[in-house]
Amino acid sequence: MARAVTTQRKTLNTLIAWSIGFVIFFPILWTILTSFKTEAQAINDPPLFLFFDWTLENYAVVQERSNYMRFLWNSIFLAGGSTLLGIIIAVPAAWSMAFVPSNRTKDILMWMLSTKMLPAVGVLYPIYIGFVKLGLLDSRLGLMIILMLINLPIIIWMLYTYFKEIPGEILEAARMDGASLKDEILYVLTPMAIPGIASTVLLNVILAWNEAFWTLNLTAAKAAPLTAFIASYSSPEGLFFAKLSAASTMAIAPILILGWFSQKQLVRGLTFGAVK
Amino acid sequence: MVFTAVVVFLGGSLWTIAHSFTSSRLLPKWKFVGFDQYERLWSTRRWMISIENLALFGVFSLVFTLVIGFTLAALLDRKIRFENTFRTILLYPFALSFIVTGLTWQWILNPDFGLQAVVRGWGFENFAFDPLNNPDLVMFGLLIAGLWQGTGLIMVILLAGMRGIDEDIWKAARVDGIGTVKTYIRVIIPMMRPVFVTALVLIAAGIIKLYDLVVAQTSGGPGIASEVPAKYVMDYMFGAQNLGQGFAASTMMLVSVVVILIPWAYLEFGGKKRG
Repeated sequence: MARAVTTQRKTLNTLIAWSIGFVIFFPILWTILTSFKTEAQAINDPPLFLFFDWTLENYAVVQERSNYMRFLWNSIFLAGGSTLLGIIIAVPAAWSMAFVPSNRTKDILMWMLSTKMLPAVGVLYPIYIGFVKLGLLDSRLGLMIILMLINLPIIIWMLYTYFKEIPGEILEAARMDGASLKDEILYVLTPMAIPGIASTVLLNVILAWNEAFWTLNLTAAKAAPLTAFIASYSSPEGLFFAKLSAASTMAIAPILILGWFSQKQLVRGLTFGAVK
Repeated sequence: MVFTAVVVFLGGSLWTIAHSFTSSRLLPKWKFVGFDQYERLWSTRRWMISIENLALFGVFSLVFTLVIGFTLAALLDRKIRFENTFRTILLYPFALSFIVTGLTWQWILNPDFGLQAVVRGWGFENFAFDPLNNPDLVMFGLLIAGLWQGTGLIMVILLAGMRGIDEDIWKAARVDGIGTVKTYIRVIIPMMRPVFVTALVLIAAGIIKLYDLVVAQTSGGPGIASEVPAKYVMDYMFGAQNLGQGFAASTMMLVSVVVILIPWAYLEFGGKKRG
């Protein structure tokens, strides 16, 4: 190899890399640590790192005051529902684009993706009015549909790139053996594309989980997910850092844990399929 | 269904553009006033500041994300231990909501309990770093949080691109006596063009979306020093009950994106790959 690496060099690289990793991870770590402090310890000068009286009182207060479970359930419902709905629509769409392309397939794909580039504020009001008229404002169903629609172009595009890697001959063979279109997609294509679909699902769950623009503007109390939950802690609680940290920790913990156990899918998904 | 998605957004955009020529206030109505809303928009100081801020944030985050991301990727372009875990950690910030990022950094940059307090605690009594309360620096405070969130992603993407380059290229460069830095700049970067395009698209999409971060971290303050166009639109639509003005501002955003990005995107993706 042109760039043979000695063990020493490798150790050095690893050290540098992990120092950078630590710096990047530090704010998250700090938030988690702070959530276990009392308010007085949280603003102690100099800041306390590990040696303080660990306490769970912030979590108790946050749960008591704003019913974390309801927000969590809304987040799970929205992220899961919009992803499921999106995948159901996107698989056939991506199938047709990948295996039965027409002259316009590229254009349609581009056109769809370009909607992701447009500023969302441009359509907020019309959708808001529509929601009011349809009675969908502050409903989980309405928000789920919107979240699905805004992420649909990304889902289709990612599935399309994954499907492209699957040789069309296999699908043809299935068709020769008398598989119907439904069987072909459901039992031949989908199982082969599971890794790609998993990454797409994870990406979409994270995008939907973090979506703040639409959730803050289209919900009030009933359908508000975790992003709204933390936002509600930000303004009036400005100086209660320990409680704010507890709220943030509870909001990000599911993603951190989910990501940890599916690192491969996380990396593939979050880099939009660029990292295989 | 795909078309429904496009139609909803396209239809919504057209509706917004049409109403930007009216004097709608609390509710949308068809009272045509021509370009009045736009004249007002461009003579509003807050709008001008918003545009400047977005431009500043955009240029700096584009340059810094790419430079830092690439430098880190080049540094780590050798196998390191526990690489999967390392990449996961780098991507964690990107997996968090802007709201959380904004709040966390609002706190780290807080002069009384955050970074400034820590460094002063180490004995550097005169150390001053308080960007969020300084109108001239507040955008850089936002920039730091934005970079923290986005650089890891770009680095991981660039690193993957770098790994995809044939080792023989390095051998050839070595034989020709070309230095490492020069090889990166003259050979590796041009070969990574597609990867850079992906990175650029992601960064650009992030810049346009700049809203949640501002709301969570500074609420546009101090004063109006960190306002951004999306927030201007929101405040006029829902806060000031001046729909026409909000529509005009969002139409301007829409038009600039269409003028700058779409032709470029078509050239990059649509034109060449066809056939």
